[in-house]
Amino acid sequence: MNPQFLADGILTGALLGLGGVGLTLTYSILRFANFVHGDFLTAGAYLALVLAGVLSQFLGGDGIGPFSFGWPLILALPIAMAATGVLALLLDWMLFRRLRRRGEEIVLVMASFGASLALRSLIEFAFTPEPKYYSQDLQIALPLGFGVRATPDQLAVVALAAASGLVLHVLLTRTAVGRAMRAVAENPDLARVAGIDPARVVRTTWWLGGGLAALAGVFLGLTVQIRPYMGFDLLLPLFAGVIVGGVGSVPGALAGGMIVGIAEALAVPIIGAAWRGGVAFLLLLAVLLVRPQGLFGMER
Amino acid sequence: MTALTVENIVAGYESGMPIVRDVSFSLDAGEIVTVIGPNGAGKSTLTKAIAGLVPERTGCVLMDGKPITAPAHALAHVGIAFVPQTENVFTRLTIRENLQIGAALLPRARRAGRIDAVLDMFPDLATRPTLAAGRLSGGQRQMLAIARALIAEPRVLLLDEPSAGLSPALVEGVFSSIAAIAAGGVSVALVEQNVAAALRIAHRALVLVEGRVAHDGPADPLRSGKLLARLFLGGTGDDPVT
Amino acid sequence: MIGLLSYLVFFVTEALVNFIAVLGLNVQWGFAGLFNVGVAGFIGIGAYVSALLTAPPWYGPPGPGHVGGLGLPVLVGWLGAMLAAAGAAAVVALATLRLRADYLAIGTFGIAVALQELAANAQGLTGGPFGIAFIPHLLAFVPPGGLVRGLLDLATTAVAAGAAWFAIDRVTAGPFGRALRALAQDEAAAASLGCEPRRLRIQAMALGAAAMGLAGAVQASLIGYIAPDNFVPVLTFQIWAMLVVGGMGSHRGALVGAFAVWGLWSAAGALFAVVLPASMATGGASLRIVAIGVAIAASLLLRPRGLSPPGRIVSRFLRERLKTSRPGRGGLPPARR
Repeated sequence: MNPQFLADGILTGALLGLGGVGLTLTYSILRFANFVHGDFLTAGAYLALVLAGVLSQFLGGDGIGPFSFGWPLILALPIAMAATGVLALLLDWMLFRRLRRRGEEIVLVMASFGASLALRSLIEFAFTPEPKYYSQDLQIALPLGFGVRATPDQLAVVALAAASGLVLHVLLTRTAVGRAMRAVAENPDLARVAGIDPARVVRTTWWLGGGLAALAGVFLGLTVQIRPYMGFDLLLPLFAGVIVGGVGSVPGALAGGMIVGIAEALAVPIIGAAWRGGVAFLLLLAVLLVRPQGLFGMER
Repeated sequence: MTALTVENIVAGYESGMPIVRDVSFSLDAGEIVTVIGPNGAGKSTLTKAIAGLVPERTGCVLMDGKPITAPAHALAHVGIAFVPQTENVFTRLTIRENLQIGAALLPRARRAGRIDAVLDMFPDLATRPTLAAGRLSGGQRQMLAIARALIAEPRVLLLDEPSAGLSPALVEGVFSSIAAIAAGGVSVALVEQNVAAALRIAHRALVLVEGRVAHDGPADPLRSGKLLARLFLGGTGDDPVT
Repeated sequence: MIGLLSYLVFFVTEALVNFIAVLGLNVQWGFAGLFNVGVAGFIGIGAYVSALLTAPPWYGPPGPGHVGGLGLPVLVGWLGAMLAAAGAAAVVALATLRLRADYLAIGTFGIAVALQELAANAQGLTGGPFGIAFIPHLLAFVPPGGLVRGLLDLATTAVAAGAAWFAIDRVTAGPFGRALRALAQDEAAAASLGCEPRRLRIQAMALGAAAMGLAGAVQASLIGYIAPDNFVPVLTFQIWAMLVVGGMGSHRGALVGAFAVWGLWSAAGALFAVVLPASMATGGASLRIVAIGVAIAASLLLRPRGLSPPGRIVSRFLRERLKTSRPGRGGLPPARR
């Protein structure tokens, strides 16, 4: 087996894990499969593109050290994350919150499917379908040993994704906000009785989910390209990773994303790069048949 | 002194089909009122309605004479704690985390101290505070649920059948804990199927029949059982006891 | 004048093809409450299977590993399309239906994505991005083009749509439909009365997908050519919009919705073509999708029961009782967990 495929799989897996964390949080706390999540990735990537473009007018567009990106993108990243969080909150306020009150989960899924299509097409309208890049610089892949090569950007993305996952895990297990989120995910009625404001938890969840989606989107844009369909095309592998890891589990989402990413990459030399969605789909069906609660999930 | 007042509660799961039909009662500080009645009388729905967990509800809940209009989660903040009959602990959180959820209502400085104090009260829970609550036995779960409710020092405790599914020995333990809690000044509303045990510790009894209060008075006269039987069958408490 | 008439005939024909798919979705969602995000996938399965069954062996671009069509009669192709789509639906339902409802949504979404990949990449089988051409027409003996052929197309499509409507209405008006509606309202109660929830739902998924497969097959033989681009998520969305706008659970509503949404879609396309300069054609196409997305979300919020909602009552006895109690929400109390 060529270790380069494994390295590519780890990069994809890190992105899927990061995107999946936001998806698993909204899935378990808001209780519906949010089809807009992929488009949050796209929105975050484009927001960062616009912001970085504006900032580079003042800061110059040169990359820092071996990386292709410089201060404009680094500063644009947190703003884009916050703005995507606001976008998620806005969508909740306009659409999901009203439907949630009516109490039919599946109507929420449907509405999210509609919102997903509308948001994606709006982005396509605003930015055209042409792929875009944060930087035109070509990066040289560095040899890492064992015949594996990776660009500095790719290494930074994997490291930052791992760090983000760790921070989130600490947030959920060690802080009052995290405990409240886990409590609402398990039993919303009991959480309310115990004095937890569910509306606040829902807001926090959208902030985190949207922000992390934007982070994953920027990383995806940095290592591949920025397209209106970039997030939507990732949605099936994202769902697969979340379900493989177990809905509601943050370590599960990270591990599940990694498993799906590596499985896709390992399938490439056997059946070709065009079949990645099919691999995610088969993995998804296999997990649902054998262990539907996922690797880290509990019985519902 | 009256702590909790419930006025004209009508509640159910669908509008036009109330299960609780116009119930009013009040609860003094340190008083144990047991809510008893035949199956389907609306006892559990009544506590859930007071806690704000029933979709259709009219009527008023007052604390110290002030009506509570805020959403359900605000009840805990004014000192009303509710322990549901089932699913009353967060099974995926540890014992300590369950208590931390309850303690979050307190000022930050007092939280750790209160958790330790409650763990002292329930030594069974103190042995392994990092155990997931889902792995506790039924009795331990009930203890944890009550401990979680007590930790923020509520003034009113609503308990929905705390003895359900427990062995007789455990029931004794749970009920003596409840008596001790009330002795400390907490008002307790206790919904129970285990009427005999509930009447032993209760000061007053509220008999609910078909969603209405059939009798509201001291617990003592009911202990004989004759009056109770008549009430459960739809009579009134005013008839002479024969 | 003839041009306008031809267009009108074509419009009605296309609306009817869509109606067949909406009927299928109505069985799945309107009656059984099953959420299918892969409608385009099932339509695509029908189109490709019927094309492979009926196309001549020499269709499409020759290449390595080229698998030819079987050249079977068109109606055999349609039957195969229905069976294949139903089979795919049954497999997904089998895997996901013992779990939460939205797992089915993710599973059907997966089918649609997988079909896209298969269509775009399995060159030897599906022609890849070039698609499959020379799919035989049902009325191949009538020369193509012209109003006569258009009218005959309309007639055959109307017969297919009518047959689908009749068959599905028979099934859903009978014990199967009653059991499905009972199940959607209160699963525990329905199960206690002897309905097997899982089996019923798998059957509903398969029946609905069969209609979608038929729609795909009819479309393929009408146009004579299919390509992966015909089965993108927007198609799923259009079918959903038709059902949501028309009213879920009513076959008549499905017809109303199919014409209303297809009309809006075509009109918006024509409008953007006139209003926007040619350089913004792709932008106009995107805006059209935004419009339909917003329309779905808005109708979920404002008119959750659609333009032509059904009477959702299981038995006449209950209808009488509900008349005397409280009008409005109707139905039995929702199951609580």
